[in-house]
Amino acid sequence: MQRTISRRDVCKYSALSLLGASASGWLPTIAARAGQSDTKKNRNCILLWMSGGPSQMETFDPKVGHENGGPTRSIETNVPGVRIGENLPMTAQVMDHLAVVRSMSTKEGDHSRATYFMHTGYLPQGPIRYPTVGSFLSKELSNEECDLPAFVSVNPFQAFSPAAYGPGFLGPAWSPLVVASQMTGEDAEAQQVSFEVSNLKRSGQVTQAQANARLQLLTSLEHDFLKNRPGGPGRSHVQSYQQAIRMMESGAVDAFSLDSEDDTLRDAYGRNPFGQGCLLARRLIETGVSFVEVNLSSADGAGGGARWDTHQDNFEAVSSLCGVLDPAYATLITDLEHRGMLDDTLVVWMGEFGRTPKINENTGRDHWPKSWSAVLAGAGVKGGQTYGSTSEDGTEVTNDPMTAQNLMATICKALNLDHDVTNYSNVGRPIPLSDHGSEPIQSLLS
Amino acid sequence: MLVNVRFSEDLVVRYVFLMTIVIMAGNGADGADPAHEAAVTIDRLFQAAWKRDQVTPAGRAEDAEYFRRLYLDLAGRIPAVSEVRDFLADDSDDKRSRAVTTLLDSPASVRHFTTSLRNAFIPQANSQPQFRALIPGFEAWLWQRISEGRPYDQIVHDIISTELNAGAGAALSATTSPDAFFVVRELKPENLAAGTARAFLGVRLDCAQCHDHPFDGWSQQQFWNMAAFYSGFSQPDDQDADNPLLTQPMTEKTDKRAISIPGTEDIVPAIYLTGLEPDWTDPSRTPRQMLADWIVDSQNAWFAKMAVNRLWAQFFGRGIVDPVDDVSDNNPASHPKVLDLLAQEFVTSGFDVKHIVKIITATNVYQLSGRQTHVSQDEPTHFARAALRGLTPEQFFDSVAEAVGYYQPYRSDNPFVVDMNSPRAQFLNLFRNNTESPLERETTILQALAMMNGTFINNATSIDDSQTLRAIAEFPAMGNDQKLETLFLSALGRRPAPEEQLRFGEYLSSGGATDDSKAALADVFWALLNSSEFLLNH
Repeated sequence: MQRTISRRDVCKYSALSLLGASASGWLPTIAARAGQSDTKKNRNCILLWMSGGPSQMETFDPKVGHENGGPTRSIETNVPGVRIGENLPMTAQVMDHLAVVRSMSTKEGDHSRATYFMHTGYLPQGPIRYPTVGSFLSKELSNEECDLPAFVSVNPFQAFSPAAYGPGFLGPAWSPLVVASQMTGEDAEAQQVSFEVSNLKRSGQVTQAQANARLQLLTSLEHDFLKNRPGGPGRSHVQSYQQAIRMMESGAVDAFSLDSEDDTLRDAYGRNPFGQGCLLARRLIETGVSFVEVNLSSADGAGGGARWDTHQDNFEAVSSLCGVLDPAYATLITDLEHRGMLDDTLVVWMGEFGRTPKINENTGRDHWPKSWSAVLAGAGVKGGQTYGSTSEDGTEVTNDPMTAQNLMATICKALNLDHDVTNYSNVGRPIPLSDHGSEPIQSLLS
Repeated sequence: MLVNVRFSEDLVVRYVFLMTIVIMAGNGADGADPAHEAAVTIDRLFQAAWKRDQVTPAGRAEDAEYFRRLYLDLAGRIPAVSEVRDFLADDSDDKRSRAVTTLLDSPASVRHFTTSLRNAFIPQANSQPQFRALIPGFEAWLWQRISEGRPYDQIVHDIISTELNAGAGAALSATTSPDAFFVVRELKPENLAAGTARAFLGVRLDCAQCHDHPFDGWSQQQFWNMAAFYSGFSQPDDQDADNPLLTQPMTEKTDKRAISIPGTEDIVPAIYLTGLEPDWTDPSRTPRQMLADWIVDSQNAWFAKMAVNRLWAQFFGRGIVDPVDDVSDNNPASHPKVLDLLAQEFVTSGFDVKHIVKIITATNVYQLSGRQTHVSQDEPTHFARAALRGLTPEQFFDSVAEAVGYYQPYRSDNPFVVDMNSPRAQFLNLFRNNTESPLERETTILQALAMMNGTFINNATSIDDSQTLRAIAEFPAMGNDQKLETLFLSALGRRPAPEEQLRFGEYLSSGGATDDSKAALADVFWALLNSSEFLLNH
């Protein structure tokens, strides 16, 4: 096939229509999916991920009066009879929106395997590359009008298990846009957290016509090279360029700029990367993004480290982490509520596992998958309740044990999704959103 | 023996053709080449496997395709325009094997192997920012040994048995030493046991730390037997969780040969993974020396296999066992005999990495084209066509620099000190990818944006700022065809195909979108630098 590209040709098209016009198939088009979007408004999800495994006993399942409980006291919440750890006073005031699952019970006590398990709902096994929760949920929830990727991940800490954060067999179209926070400002005191997406603007030296011509030249190169070189890296390359170009042409990226937000609200979230990340999550959901994951793994709120992994000095470490978590989490819930978004937005709080009830010789707590807590709030969730419980010493689930698979099924149901919906895996086997045999827990749902 | 009656005619023709080429190559300058013999055997094993699995392999890679791949795999960057021109112009039969030999002795190759081994030995330095400061000291140490041609077993032995700069505190991290291997594992016996097994033996013991792992056949006891070799380290009293770089002085008791399993009363002695007990009759040998002796022993089947498997993966994007550091019954080798043969060659050559590289690059398997001719080539475990694979961040930036003519300023006193604000450091950060396999490499949106709009590429494709581009644009003796050819050679290491010549030539002569022939040239260069052909290995 011979094609020549004239100046007249390239001026006719915008960059996007160029990509759309490429019928040659090297750009499996977003447009093809557009027809499938239905009129019903889809729900959205925000995952607050606590990398390292937060202590349930210092957060949502305090054990006051037992030696395993340590010095942590409990406080009242705005739901009579429900008490949580003293580290979360603001969260206690939104308890009426929360459903605290105190009976999470899993078997994975290794960071890598547990991170993979809780992010995908499946254990790493054989050649199947399971997609991360943000990928498979955003695939179901996404709406085609949004010019941003359906899945955005803020400050992820991926070192424990890189595969737990990827789209797996769903492919690069469902990869997260990973956004890292930056600190801007000369003065150390007055530093601001920002989330600018770099390089979104074309250089001023390049005209629109020239940019279109460049893309058309690129399209022809890609077509020739990739037509007989199938494989993931080539597909990913093309799709990322396609998404990047769509973002460049869209005003939706304004969502990343927090400057237009009220100062009081920004303060309430906490002027740190996690607090501002939660605010960003709300703005992204407003813009049409379907799934936002915000990671909290260090007391400065940034993505580095895994400070919830409190083998030493558990009480001090959890207290300082909660100093970041508490205002951000509580403000996110109230902010979503005030804007009428909470009914359509599910907020999930969890880590990969809990901590040992028994306090170790370093005043720390080690890995504990047997009995721990996770929290749901918002869309589809019946708030103001606890689900399941643990024994006085915290070592056993005493009723309503909750598996990772049932939690995943419950999350699907809360989002109005059928957890039995399957995707074809890379080995050609249909894989349901949550594993075979899992069931949503009805009493958690409204 | 060449012709098997059950081969399809097509296969036989291809086989004879390929074998002829190999034999011709082998009869080149240096006569009977031991690497060549092994390569022929490997090709025979692959032929048999393809036949068994009804796979039709791809055709042989053309010179330009082969040369670019060889440069990326061996020198960590794409070839320069002049290097491609020379190679394409050379019509001798043994030019491919000569290119391998030349490259193996090049500084770029030493640098590339240094980076690869560093990634394998201290992967934490990539994934955890707090350990990045350890990279220069560790790389400088490795670089020195690789450039001196030290055998692989010696390098590994030196790492495990190194005398740590104990008591030096913060200085530990800044020295030219293998200490980083210990620092990234926080001097913890359990981390060091798991890291040693994984980096040097390809065995994942990690899961046996907390419980028996019957799945893989490792018991918790065996795990701690291994950890016991590293049990002599004192942990700093005042451990600062925020500062794992060990600013506190540490000591090591070299007579400690047992460790207690945490949470139990059990104290277990240092015993090798095979169950063999160390012979402690020489009291001057420390536990780490004893461990190092056993790890690199030629009788240790894991050690050589792991090393050659990782080398194989460097040239193909996946190991014969893949992931390379997961040797277990549940993860069988795709071509076990090939692995055995390479491991045997590695041992008999005295753990000579260059020998293995010569074998691998001499195989027809390595010299296959990436162009698909049959669907059976798509299964990566068949190695039936060159896979599309991602570049490492280092390969990526060094290739971009080569293509655009960017001079990389190194500090002469220590080339491993990285200026975090340099374009290289910024690109390494942005292109540090999180997928485990290069065959699953994903381009991120942020990477695409940096390539399309970022300052570095923008300058490289600007007539005002790019030396290379201006040199081509303003060179009076060059016609459009030659300019186009030079751009293709710079970025893709090949000449444009006839239809590309036509299409891009037309664009250039029409003045492009801006009626400016120089700007049109910049547009072409931009498209080339953003293409997957440029940004991937194939």
